[in-house]
Amino acid sequence: MFVKFLFIASSLLTIVSALSMLMTKDIMHACIFLLGALMGVAGLFLTLGADFLAATQVMVYIGGVVVLMLFAVMLTGGNELNKRGLNPVPLMGNKFTFALGVFGASMFFIVVYQLLYKIFHYFHLSVVDSYESTVEKIGRLLLTDHILAFEISSVLLLGALVGAAIIARPKRN
Amino acid sequence: MMMGLTSYLLISLFLMICGIIIMIARKNIIAILLGIELILNASALNFVAYSKFVAKNFDGQIFTLFIIVVAAAEAAVGLAITIRHFQISESIHIDDATQLLA
Amino acid sequence: MTSTLSSYIQSIPYIKENLYWLTEMLGPEVTAFVIFFIGAFIVANVMALVGGLGTYAERKISADIQQRIGPNRVGPLGILQFLADGVKMIMKENIVPRDADKFLYYLGPLLCMVGIFAACAVLPISSGFILADLNVGVFYLLAISSLVGLGILLGGYSSNSKWSMLGGMRGASQIISYEIPVTISILAIVVLSGGLSFGKIVQSQSGLPTEWYVFHNPFTFIAFIVYFIASLAEANRAPFDLPEAESELVSGYHTEFTGMRFAFFALAEYVEVFVLCTVASALFLGGYNVPFRLGGDSLLGQVLQTIVFFSKTCFLYYVVIWIRWTLPRLRVDQLMTLCWKYLTPIALFNLVGVSIWLVIFDGKSLLQLIKGLF
Repeated sequence: MFVKFLFIASSLLTIVSALSMLMTKDIMHACIFLLGALMGVAGLFLTLGADFLAATQVMVYIGGVVVLMLFAVMLTGGNELNKRGLNPVPLMGNKFTFALGVFGASMFFIVVYQLLYKIFHYFHLSVVDSYESTVEKIGRLLLTDHILAFEISSVLLLGALVGAAIIARPKRN
Repeated sequence: MMMGLTSYLLISLFLMICGIIIMIARKNIIAILLGIELILNASALNFVAYSKFVAKNFDGQIFTLFIIVVAAAEAAVGLAITIRHFQISESIHIDDATQLLA
Repeated sequence: MTSTLSSYIQSIPYIKENLYWLTEMLGPEVTAFVIFFIGAFIVANVMALVGGLGTYAERKISADIQQRIGPNRVGPLGILQFLADGVKMIMKENIVPRDADKFLYYLGPLLCMVGIFAACAVLPISSGFILADLNVGVFYLLAISSLVGLGILLGGYSSNSKWSMLGGMRGASQIISYEIPVTISILAIVVLSGGLSFGKIVQSQSGLPTEWYVFHNPFTFIAFIVYFIASLAEANRAPFDLPEAESELVSGYHTEFTGMRFAFFALAEYVEVFVLCTVASALFLGGYNVPFRLGGDSLLGQVLQTIVFFSKTCFLYYVVIWIRWTLPRLRVDQLMTLCWKYLTPIALFNLVGVSIWLVIFDGKSLLQLIKGLF
């Protein structure tokens, strides 16, 4: 019963936040609705029994990526119009760009639905009731089966750290 | 409310479509990066749902960990490029980012 | 194993018989919900009380250090001062600045409160009274308390004022920078105990100081010091309180907040200091373990464990307040230098050191090794 309640609450949070992200005109509000959507996805991970993953999602995305986006919005002038004034299209899109977006998304939907249609018919699986801890299993798998990806991702993070610090540094002329 | 594989796939499809519409419709570079984050989360949810219902092992969750890692790295570098572009050309409109050499 | 308050209470024989009729009437899940609700209600109220008494304690201790008396009018020894402050704040006028971003203005204090009260669900108060002994308890606490930094950033931005914005950005950058030494120091203990759950970490220590993790090997001792300094910076306190510097930024990110909203920010800060002291005492100082296991697992033992828990945490709280009124404030560049050039390399070195100690000496503490020599 708790799991059903968590599932309904998380999916409502995710869907409402994603819709609000579509319809808002303010970039700061869009970042906060992204926060809501990511919390909802973390809740959905919990209903699937992935507790370590849910905590990682909250820590990395909400503690890191959303704060980074907010800082970038504040450092690049936020909601002001672009200084050149040459572009007639507003920063958050007008009806024409949204119409193009809906057209593109519907193309995607048509293609994907042909694949999902069969899955909806064949799989009537529901949740297994036992929830066990995934921390030890994920730790063991990361260091035995998937160790190459683990090491490469650490090199990737080092490269991203150094690269982002150098790119965003103000030039001394 | 049945909590089967179908409902998780429908939620991730909805998130993916929202992400695609945001990526196409917005002209602010940071708003486009927000759309990218939504798309990555939709695929992560897909992976975890399949690993729980179909494969019944933990490979999907490991892959989702790597999705989170790569998404964080990509957001950091993308925002660094955006800030640099703003320092050069004073604009975060994506139609202003048309030249390779500033 | 994820054990909870509900399973503990349902295993006490006296309560089990009395709960039988409740379980018959409502079903096992609703009974568990009722137990959790009562437990969470108690914990939330006690945390709010702790926040209020924290303001009183700060004023009295700072008065003692500065050789004056402090509040002594409202009740015996001035102990009801925090209630008087609360009533004053409730009755203040609810001002929202005209050009403030309304949605974010309402959301900032709320995120701070939610972030820190949700972290109180995993605190190990006694061996039966952990609300939720999650298998990822430590990780969950670190993740949820990063919502506080977000709340500070939004509060500073949405006030639409220069001073608030500066204070908000400084506060948020300080919090996200100091999360790194905190996390790596906690990781050193997690490596030593082999699990992320608070119950397991506290149970692998014992009551006597020789069994605490802080004296286990020199690396964990350094980790305790690094964790303590970094958690002071994380809570915007002590020598690191530049975001709310009263002499520089007119009060920083909560300049434009009045009444209950300001009370939310202040309460979140005091409760956050309490939670960080709890984590320090649970991970490093032996948590709720009573020396010589007096009382065992009976009701008397639980009460003793709660008293030990609170006394260790209040001792660390006293040290935090003492540091605030002793040391001068750090500048922003000194703060960032301390974090990135000193604390983070020391914390990384600690983590490597603890791992090597674990491999070479097979998890034995320094005192056990010395005893093994004779």
